[in-house]
Amino acid sequence: MPVPDLFYAMMKEEWRIHSTIFGSAGFAFFPVVVGLFAFAGSLALPIFADTLPYTAMALLALALFLLAGVMVGSFGTMGREFMNRRFGQASLVAYASRSLPVTERRIFATFLVKDTVYYILLYVLPFAVGFTAATPFISLDPALGLLALVSLALAFLTGLSVVCLLSTLYARSVRLLAGAVAVLAIVGLAVFTAGTVPVFPPYAFLLDPGPVPLLLSLILILVPAAASVLLVTVDYPDRTKRFTNRLDPLAEGLRAVGSAHFIAKDALDLLRSEGGAGKVIFSFLLPLGLVWVCLRILIRFIPGIDPLVVFAVLLGVLSATIYNWLTEFDSFSSYTFLPVKVSEVIDAKLKSYALANLLPAAVLVLAAAISGGAGTLPPAFAAFVSVSAYTLAVTVYLCGLSPNVMLYSAGVFLRYILAISPVLLGLIFASLFDPAYAFGSLLLVPAAALLLSRGRRRWQAWEMPGY
Amino acid sequence: MRQMIEVEGLRKDYGSVTAVNGISFSVAEGELFGLLGPNGSGKTTMIRMLTGQIPPTSGSARVMGLDPARDPIGVRGLVGIIPEQETPPSFLTAEEYLHFVARIRNLDRIEERCDRWFDLLEFREKQNVLCKDLSRGTRQKLMFAQAFLHEPRLALIDEPLINLDPIVQRTVKDFLEDYVRNGGTILISTHILEIAAEICDRVAVLHDGRLLFCGRTGDLAGSGESLERSFLDLVRGDAGA
Repeated sequence: MPVPDLFYAMMKEEWRIHSTIFGSAGFAFFPVVVGLFAFAGSLALPIFADTLPYTAMALLALALFLLAGVMVGSFGTMGREFMNRRFGQASLVAYASRSLPVTERRIFATFLVKDTVYYILLYVLPFAVGFTAATPFISLDPALGLLALVSLALAFLTGLSVVCLLSTLYARSVRLLAGAVAVLAIVGLAVFTAGTVPVFPPYAFLLDPGPVPLLLSLILILVPAAASVLLVTVDYPDRTKRFTNRLDPLAEGLRAVGSAHFIAKDALDLLRSEGGAGKVIFSFLLPLGLVWVCLRILIRFIPGIDPLVVFAVLLGVLSATIYNWLTEFDSFSSYTFLPVKVSEVIDAKLKSYALANLLPAAVLVLAAAISGGAGTLPPAFAAFVSVSAYTLAVTVYLCGLSPNVMLYSAGVFLRYILAISPVLLGLIFASLFDPAYAFGSLLLVPAAALLLSRGRRRWQAWEMPGY
Repeated sequence: MRQMIEVEGLRKDYGSVTAVNGISFSVAEGELFGLLGPNGSGKTTMIRMLTGQIPPTSGSARVMGLDPARDPIGVRGLVGIIPEQETPPSFLTAEEYLHFVARIRNLDRIEERCDRWFDLLEFREKQNVLCKDLSRGTRQKLMFAQAFLHEPRLALIDEPLINLDPIVQRTVKDFLEDYVRNGGTILISTHILEIAAEICDRVAVLHDGRLLFCGRTGDLAGSGESLERSFLDLVRGDAGA
């Protein structure tokens, strides 16, 4: 099968996966929402300019797209089980090297190119267009739009290709992954300390467009991508997995929490599914590490910033993605032949979430201990708990048990962004004046409780006719 | 005789499409009742309405005295259901899944109940295998086991023998016949006529959401004609009308 045909089939397939769920118009509107969000955000830049230099904001935007690349990369390489569960026995072109006369490497390479094109069209281009459209209103040169497009694309592709390499190594051996991460960390630290080479070439390219940072960026993208294509292995299950009954002991241990069998099932889903601990690393710990590094850099620009409080706020948002893992293999239809209410399933998920959220809480305490920021730990902890509860409540209200799918609906995504971003920005901005203002985030807790209560009712009523 | 299922003028519209069009029938206690019809005739929609998975557009139904539209959880607590397409959760083993269902239903003697089904359907050697690694036939056995774990007096089964090998098909047919002889009631939906001819006491034939026939299986076949011939005549006659 020629590569262009394979590429075209994959593009068509990716479009149909999304448009089947939301309708072609609903999904086609998604990039428009991204563009509008970028336009509105860009118009607000002068408001923050006194506190945060444009260069720092640009760095944040690049970090955001680096993160998006990481997320897309980890989903692309670990999402097969999710697709099977959500769409039945999904038979995607990417998994078809057994039935098509095409090698795994060729399929994987085409898959990477498809992801590059598809998600640049979906995220990067609309964002750059939105920014460019705003430049005349904020006294910036519209030509910066092109620079933004290139550097954001470079940042996105860096995240995508690096995480592809790491997950390819993980598929071969956890030790190989650990070794690669250690080497990357040492090299990154050495480069950062030496200061002779820009630690993040896409950012260097944005500040000073030239051949050197562009070349470095391309090396950072192409080398991991090529290595992951060379090392790719498709993990077809050759052996049947057997386990002794772990559900009952887990459920007995959790009896005091209530809904123990549901929580035990969630835990087993998470531990036994494809990627296992890799999901935690790629979709949670790695983004958290990125956030932490960005904050350490931001301190240079904004002396008043308390990195622990800002980290706690962002940690709260990221920790809500735990709900996405917990719902990855469940749908309401799995329970329609059993005497279970939709709201019961949601309640059990919330309990699972509360237990799993101990991990990010521990990360926050660890960050406070390492950074010597224990003094601001109480407001930071309050911010983490409140933002986490609020983001979760918004997710449950808007998406029910299907956040991994529903957030690609333009309307849902828009409401999600509008509900969360003002709260985040307000909280981060307030904490710049005094970290103690982060205690104000506790006001989000009753809002979260209200949203959850409405969400339970909404999904109980909404889902009934459909399933 | 007590009526376990009573359906009166039941109708379901999906937008402009009428999936079930004003159907009435009843199933008495101790009957093995078959819903027959080609694909898309409304069989699955009927089962979904009877188990409270979807509300009817109009008409009424009573299942063991309960209205499934008003009390779906009550109905699902009483009856056993095998849906047509749903598969057990990927990352539980067969044993864990049955224990999970037993806990949802608040059952006692869980081990004993599960053991009975592992032995009856002959899949004990698969009890520790993840559901995602089970063959389709074994998954269907597991779905069968979950539906009967609480020993319901009424079971609604969508395509009961799908994916099962001939040996297990025989075991399942024998079980269903025994179950009905001992006072249980079963409604099965199928497009495989041999199943209906072999085990059903009465059948209803659906086509395009309408009821074409409801009566004893032997009456549908008529004297000297096969069930298949009579069924095809009925459905083709309706399509041509």
